[in-house]
Amino acid sequence: MKIAYYPGCVAQESGRELDMATRWVCRKLGIELVEFPTFSCCGSGFVDEANLTLNVALNARNLAIAERAGLDLLTVCSTCQGMLTLANVKMTEPAMRARIDPVLAKLQIAYGGKVRVKHLLEVLVNDIGVEAIRAKVRRPLTGMNVGAFYGCHLLRPTLELGSESAEEPRAFEDLLAAIGATPVMYRGRVMCCGFPILFVKPETANRISAHQIVDARDHGAHAMATPCPLCHISLDSFQNKASAAVGQKLNMPVFHLPQLVGLALGASPEELGLPRHLVPVEPAMARIGTPP
Amino acid sequence: MPEEMVTAQIDVFRHDPAGGGAPRYQRFTLELPPHTPVLTALLRIRAEQDPSLTLRYSCRSAICGSCAMQINSKSRLACQTPIGPEIAEHGRIVIEPMRNQGGVRDLVVDQTSFWEAYDRMRPHLITDPLRPMPEGRETSMTPAQVEQFRETPRCIACAACYSACPAVEADAAFPGPMALAKLYRFVVDPRDQARQDRLVRIQTEGLWLCLRCHLCTEACPKDVRPSERIRDLKEMAIAAQGGTERGSRHAIGFKQNIRERGQLNEMKLVLQTDGILGSVGQAGQGFKIWRKKPEISKKPRRIEGIEEIEQIYEALDPKPKGDR
Repeated sequence: MKIAYYPGCVAQESGRELDMATRWVCRKLGIELVEFPTFSCCGSGFVDEANLTLNVALNARNLAIAERAGLDLLTVCSTCQGMLTLANVKMTEPAMRARIDPVLAKLQIAYGGKVRVKHLLEVLVNDIGVEAIRAKVRRPLTGMNVGAFYGCHLLRPTLELGSESAEEPRAFEDLLAAIGATPVMYRGRVMCCGFPILFVKPETANRISAHQIVDARDHGAHAMATPCPLCHISLDSFQNKASAAVGQKLNMPVFHLPQLVGLALGASPEELGLPRHLVPVEPAMARIGTPP
Repeated sequence: MPEEMVTAQIDVFRHDPAGGGAPRYQRFTLELPPHTPVLTALLRIRAEQDPSLTLRYSCRSAICGSCAMQINSKSRLACQTPIGPEIAEHGRIVIEPMRNQGGVRDLVVDQTSFWEAYDRMRPHLITDPLRPMPEGRETSMTPAQVEQFRETPRCIACAACYSACPAVEADAAFPGPMALAKLYRFVVDPRDQARQDRLVRIQTEGLWLCLRCHLCTEACPKDVRPSERIRDLKEMAIAAQGGTERGSRHAIGFKQNIRERGQLNEMKLVLQTDGILGSVGQAGQGFKIWRKKPEISKKPRRIEGIEEIEQIYEALDPKPKGDR
């Protein structure tokens, strides 16, 4: 399949390992990524707080770029997914269109509302299919208990995303099982990572991320995995702060979703950027091949 | 025709702090039609099996907002939740009191913090006696003005959102979704004369602690959509006063940041939010991250078509008020 690749800012900057892993996995599964150097930032849930109409217009431009090429859009970030989907919804509101369409028209841009915004998780589970992925596994992640951490904007608000079940999602766990890992069910998997207030009130954000990590650990997770690089910043890059917030060393390896798929399909840790993590992933890797 | 019955296994949280004894779960088993509301099942338990079961309820019609509790870990109204789908999904029904409020007994919680946060929002019309409304027009509103309230007048103050909110859980300074949805309702009320003061105050009273996780919108039995109104409040607060707090500076900084290159300049954003001095406090963490991810110190590329971004900003974001 062929799809417009929207990597988002973080996967091009501090979360570059996510981009590396995405490209590796898509190459392996025959997903052709079409790139557009014209894409701008999705707004990340911050620009809309300052100016919603501006944010929707910026994303309508992004969507129009994919539409002109006749492609759907692939995201690798729960927040990009949420913000671009929000723009799709808002662009069905006549009042919003009345403000935005004339501005875009001056730039010879028109958005017809045809682009579907799909997160990599959705593409892997629905378009490629867990059975097809299972058939390609070369190194099953047997013995590794993984707590999926969805990231809010992949699931909510339901009205906009229309996801299978925002309250009891299964797609991520189905994928983890297909690559041989043992999914861990815990309350925190659909909760917030704290990132949105990491720069507003860090001590509160750190407590929130610690809460989810402890919850995953207490339910037996050797590692967590997330489809969102912002969750990854909160859970991995700032895990030392989360540890300090709760007064205990958490030592929880946190994978990006395509990194785990890549490992199972035979990629090396270097190809997936695993050495770039702040929390070493080796303890979780050592579980591979042990009895589940 | 009589409906098929299901066997409902209901595990109810029991705790009586005053009477001593540890919290426990008590199992009850009942035969009920699947459409039976959880509240009806609990009242059957109380009538037929254990009269000491303590819970709040009143109208049984999703109007009074009294019977919110956790049903299989989700905060919702017991009167509005049928047992059938819960049993189909989970095999049993676990009933617990709402979160984020201290336990009083069994399913009854202490709602003091919830109502105090509500009171802090001054949830009533504030009018200036020296600026009275024109004679005979005290309460008039146009239909368009009423529409501005969006779904907020539907709120029944059941506290399901408060129970579901991770910001409330982590930080007592956050007033919670319901209080902020009520605040929104008065901010957009054309009869209210304290709009500016309300928007200025809320910037320092917890508005920017919302995580926009939308768990409140998911939990709300009346579809009030608090998270979306909190977003509106943030935009209105910035328009009213600019970036006075870290939260508003971060949103404004992010907006400006994207204007320059079309994508995020991570390092610059930290400077914009924290200021130079504040950023020094983050320097240690920044260094730890930089050792693994050195590109955070480099400027990102400028996207192709940046002039289009500039034109969109010029058309839709013309006012520099509060921007830095």
